[in-house]
Amino acid sequence: MSSERVLQSSGTFSPGVIEDIQTKAESGLYRIRGYGTLRERRWATFDDLTFLPCSLTRIPLEGYREKCSTKTVLGTRFAGKPIELGIPVMITGMSWGALSYNAKVALAKGASAVGSSNTTGDGGMLMAERENSRTLIYEVLPSRYGINVHDMRLADAIELTIGQGAKPGTGGLLLGSKVSGTIAEQRDLPIGVDQRSPARHPDFLGPDDMIIKVEEIREATDWKVPIFIKMGASRVFDDVKLAAKAGADVIVVDGMEGGTGASPAILQEHTGIPTLAAVCEARAALEECGLYGVVQLIVAGGIRDGVDAAKAIALGADAVYIGTAALISLNCNKPIYVEDYEKLGTEPHFCHHCHTGRCPVGITTQDPELMERLDIEQGAERVSNLLRAMTREIQMLARACGKSDVHHLEPEDMAALSMEASAICGIPLAGTRKVFGR
Amino acid sequence: MAEVDCRGRTVREINAEIRGLGEGDIVVKNPAARHNLGVAILKHARVRFEGSVGYYCGGLIDGAEIEVTGSAGWGLAESMMNGTVEVRGSAGNGAAAAIRGGSVIIHGDAAARLGVSMKGGLALVAGNCGYMAGFMGQKGTLIVCGDAGEAFADSMYATTCFVGGRIAELGTDAVASKPAADEAAFLDATLARYLSAEERKSKPAGRDFQKVVAGRKLWNFDKREWKIWQEAL
Repeated sequence: MSSERVLQSSGTFSPGVIEDIQTKAESGLYRIRGYGTLRERRWATFDDLTFLPCSLTRIPLEGYREKCSTKTVLGTRFAGKPIELGIPVMITGMSWGALSYNAKVALAKGASAVGSSNTTGDGGMLMAERENSRTLIYEVLPSRYGINVHDMRLADAIELTIGQGAKPGTGGLLLGSKVSGTIAEQRDLPIGVDQRSPARHPDFLGPDDMIIKVEEIREATDWKVPIFIKMGASRVFDDVKLAAKAGADVIVVDGMEGGTGASPAILQEHTGIPTLAAVCEARAALEECGLYGVVQLIVAGGIRDGVDAAKAIALGADAVYIGTAALISLNCNKPIYVEDYEKLGTEPHFCHHCHTGRCPVGITTQDPELMERLDIEQGAERVSNLLRAMTREIQMLARACGKSDVHHLEPEDMAALSMEASAICGIPLAGTRKVFGR
Repeated sequence: MAEVDCRGRTVREINAEIRGLGEGDIVVKNPAARHNLGVAILKHARVRFEGSVGYYCGGLIDGAEIEVTGSAGWGLAESMMNGTVEVRGSAGNGAAAAIRGGSVIIHGDAAARLGVSMKGGLALVAGNCGYMAGFMGQKGTLIVCGDAGEAFADSMYATTCFVGGRIAELGTDAVASKPAADEAAFLDATLARYLSAEERKSKPAGRDFQKVVAGRKLWNFDKREWKIWQEAL
């Protein structure tokens, strides 16, 4: 008889669930952390699609040589000056406060080096970010922290943010460890408060008065710059139509895989719909109201590489935002300063402790010593390298599919690898000619 | 004094003409409660709207002095940096929302969410205000000479509120007290500056106002404050 013990955990009360219950029993609070959903991806994702490159039915372009345009123009509907980007991969809004000064400036420099854009975040404009940005998008959020009409007029586009993919329907969090003197002054807050941002804008409630809000922003910016409307992905089909009706030049849909600097964990895990589903609903909505191609679509939420970006573009996006991937290029979760990961109770590759303000690599912190670990120039180089590599991946796939412009990618260039993806994307399942659900 | 007539013109045309008229006195006729009038005026002009205005009048301004002889819609002077926006009638929801400086003076009543998320400046209402005035107020001063509605001063950071009449219900973490002598003097001086002698006859003296500030129990997550967190909005 073997003396080896056979252990069997509960499927319902798994070790993770037990730990969660006991942590809440200690604190009396819901759990807060950063990074985005940690769930195993059991829903359909971009990985459930595969490209169908040319063979006999279509002719490919030379993969390493032939011209394949990546130029991206956003805001052609009403704006006097649409923005022109060299590539279709942009940096999403992440606040100065959630991120360090060094991280914000590195992102600005890195994006600018390859003709891309970056976005301010919940806390207003960092002037060094403006000075180092070729194209800067200014977010107007429900909190209006740092709102400043002069900064708004310096922006190349305005993003009216209704929600965020990691936590649609709920405002942001910035725990007291990151509300330093400088950040508190920028946001007009007391130093060290656990800042909980509002979810609702203070001066409009719904889609009807948002129409007036959009007009106000156009008046404040002389009708020149594009107005983006950004939303967390929930009822995307209806929300996109309402945003288009409100006069958006560009609509941003942020899926549930999107990241965050801090949020109640349950919101990251159990709210919103996946990015794959969101892009399909958004395209269908714009097509239904005859505005597909008129209102541009940006998709965000867990975009990791050029493959995810190419698939999003093929499904209907004009561009993608990256956030977490850009931070990873800045050394997020890199195995350096390992002892400081351990102080946080974690390890490289497993860290989601952005909320603590003790980021070992100087990205999500306001601590001057930690921030120094992120060299701005080196960080900018890594960001621009990632953007270059992602763009080349998109081009590689586009050329293989016979496209001389990455924006010519289309759903017909792909097959579904699961019935769920087939049903969501309206694309035949590989090995069949059948679109499931139709 | 320059004159702008709104009749038959778009808001964009009206605002462009106001902005182009320099820093003098401007009278705007027939505003007809149109939205977005006087938005983002970034100079020291004195603009009088003769009638009522719609949403966001005086929104995003810096330095202008705006007077509305009628009433105003939602979001009056929202996100103003500096200047004065004075309404002879009443104002809709979210008056003085997110202002960072300057003064918003309402001689009539203010609807719900007066001074929501205000980050500085002064919001003064001669009459009454609706529910959730001062919600998430960060800095600045909010004065209501009459009665205040439910959830007054809820979840505030560091805005200081004063109410001359009855408060229907204090919001979460709001704490009421009597004003100190210097605060009472400030109230008397502020009312004397912005309200007419006739208006002031029906208002209480500064010392008879209630002062309301944050109790600071919501400033940081704290399990010992379970009761207040349970009710937090």
